[in-house]
Amino acid sequence: MRLAAALAAICCSGSAGAVDYQIHGYAAQGFVLSSHNDFFGDSTDGSFDYYEAGINAAVRIQPNLSFAIQAAVRDAGISDDGSVRLDYAVADYRVLSETNVQAGLRFGKVKNALGFYNETRDVVFTRPSILLPSVYSDNQNQRTLIFTSPGAQAYGATVLGQHELSFTGTFNAERDVRKNDERLLVELTVPFDLRVGDSWNLQVMDSIDGGRWQFAYSHFGGQFRMSTEIDLSGRFDVDLNVFSARFNAERVTLTAEYVLIDNDNRLTYLGAPFLRQRVAADSGYLQVEYRLGSNWAVMSRLDSFYRDRHDRSGHAFAAANPGIDRRTQFSHDFTVGIHWRPDQHWGFWAEHHWINGTAILQALENPPPLRHQRWSMLMLMAGYKF
Amino acid sequence: MNFSVHTPMLQRLRCLLAALLLTLAPGAVPQNSDLEVEVIVSPSLAEVTLDRSLLRAVFTMRVREWPDGTPIRVFVLPDDNPLSDQFYREQLGMYSYVLRRAWDRMVFTGTGFAPTVVRSEAEMIERVRSTPGAIGFVRKRAASSQNRPAPPRWKIVTITADGHG
Repeated sequence: MRLAAALAAICCSGSAGAVDYQIHGYAAQGFVLSSHNDFFGDSTDGSFDYYEAGINAAVRIQPNLSFAIQAAVRDAGISDDGSVRLDYAVADYRVLSETNVQAGLRFGKVKNALGFYNETRDVVFTRPSILLPSVYSDNQNQRTLIFTSPGAQAYGATVLGQHELSFTGTFNAERDVRKNDERLLVELTVPFDLRVGDSWNLQVMDSIDGGRWQFAYSHFGGQFRMSTEIDLSGRFDVDLNVFSARFNAERVTLTAEYVLIDNDNRLTYLGAPFLRQRVAADSGYLQVEYRLGSNWAVMSRLDSFYRDRHDRSGHAFAAANPGIDRRTQFSHDFTVGIHWRPDQHWGFWAEHHWINGTAILQALENPPPLRHQRWSMLMLMAGYKF
Repeated sequence: MNFSVHTPMLQRLRCLLAALLLTLAPGAVPQNSDLEVEVIVSPSLAEVTLDRSLLRAVFTMRVREWPDGTPIRVFVLPDDNPLSDQFYREQLGMYSYVLRRAWDRMVFTGTGFAPTVVRSEAEMIERVRSTPGAIGFVRKRAASSQNRPAPPRWKIVTITADGHG
């Protein structure tokens, strides 16, 4: 451990002439033990099918021009497959860099700012808990859509008195969806291809009094386009609006976020409209973190997710879809967790979830019929970063 | 923000070394001011004056170059060092975990550099002395606090030991 730490300290940054560079990385292994339902693998028997790792390098050619790249792997039961991927590869050109105003442009495969945690959602050291709240759909399907994508990004920040206002706007180019993700997004008996069309993403944030208060609004607008060989095509529009608020005190951090997800799904067969479905899902949580000292912290969270905000109990859905349980339409998750950071490199997490409803489960991991509405889950994780 | 550079490099370096030798001399460190912190900068930036908003912009890594165009290189002590906490709280008006969160976000999104973490104050002084554009912080020492300007609301910073300060 000490050797690794020493190596990390030596190689993680430096400067060669005018060029500064940094190399950082992270790795974490999780364990999930659940009752009744499976989450991130065969977790009713205990699952280690949950890990994440990445390594990145950044080079600053001159103060206003830098390049950065990160390769990452993540495995999470059926919802992620552990394959190596290019997480980001970005050129950053700083146009304006003064004490109270900064602005710049980024190009390449960039991260989308959405809520407080989306950009670094796979690095446990940046999360408040092992599992992110359902606002971030950690076990769902939209991470492909919103996490990271090729595009152009403009950013800026300005200081006005106690307020630091920042802005990030991203235009994402059309891109393909990996086969492994396609099967999670669309259930269809014929072969199909799924692409994410042009999309855009925006975040504005007000950070007050050195970050004591933080408020953010984030928007994502995009669409999936599906094509098949049998003249059936689909277009699924997704709009996300995320409202975020956080209070940072010396020992306590209070966080609340709410997301409203509008889905507009259209299927066309032989060129004629075949199906039109509009659904608004929503999710929100209230979370408290308490730091016991510089190394220990505890957290607790109330988290709810509804597939249809106009049918929160799921009764209307069940009536319209015989054979499907209404309890697949919502999840309420009460979480308590503890977190130990013995030094700047290592971290250990443990948390327990008490869950009512099964909306956060993956259907492919939990084939119908529904097993249990009320279930619980113990999660453990150990991580290293440098 | 005020900024001026008008001393020849060699002379400034000598000033810095003299100041360092003074501060490192036995008996020069008062035992009762353990957690008074001061900012130190690279000798090439001897005349820089830092106010709170510039310091915040520097330590949150929002600005990347000094007004003369030199790249800013930030050095910090480990997060759990009491001196770090003291410095962030008193001089930046921020908590260390809020800063760490901002640095981690930059590092793992490719949008910025994190400060370089050094293991001790001795290493901090050495790295700041030898790195152009460097800035860091150390425990306040009596010898280096002489002959310094006293800007409003803000105890500075500069490692100049003679009449240029």
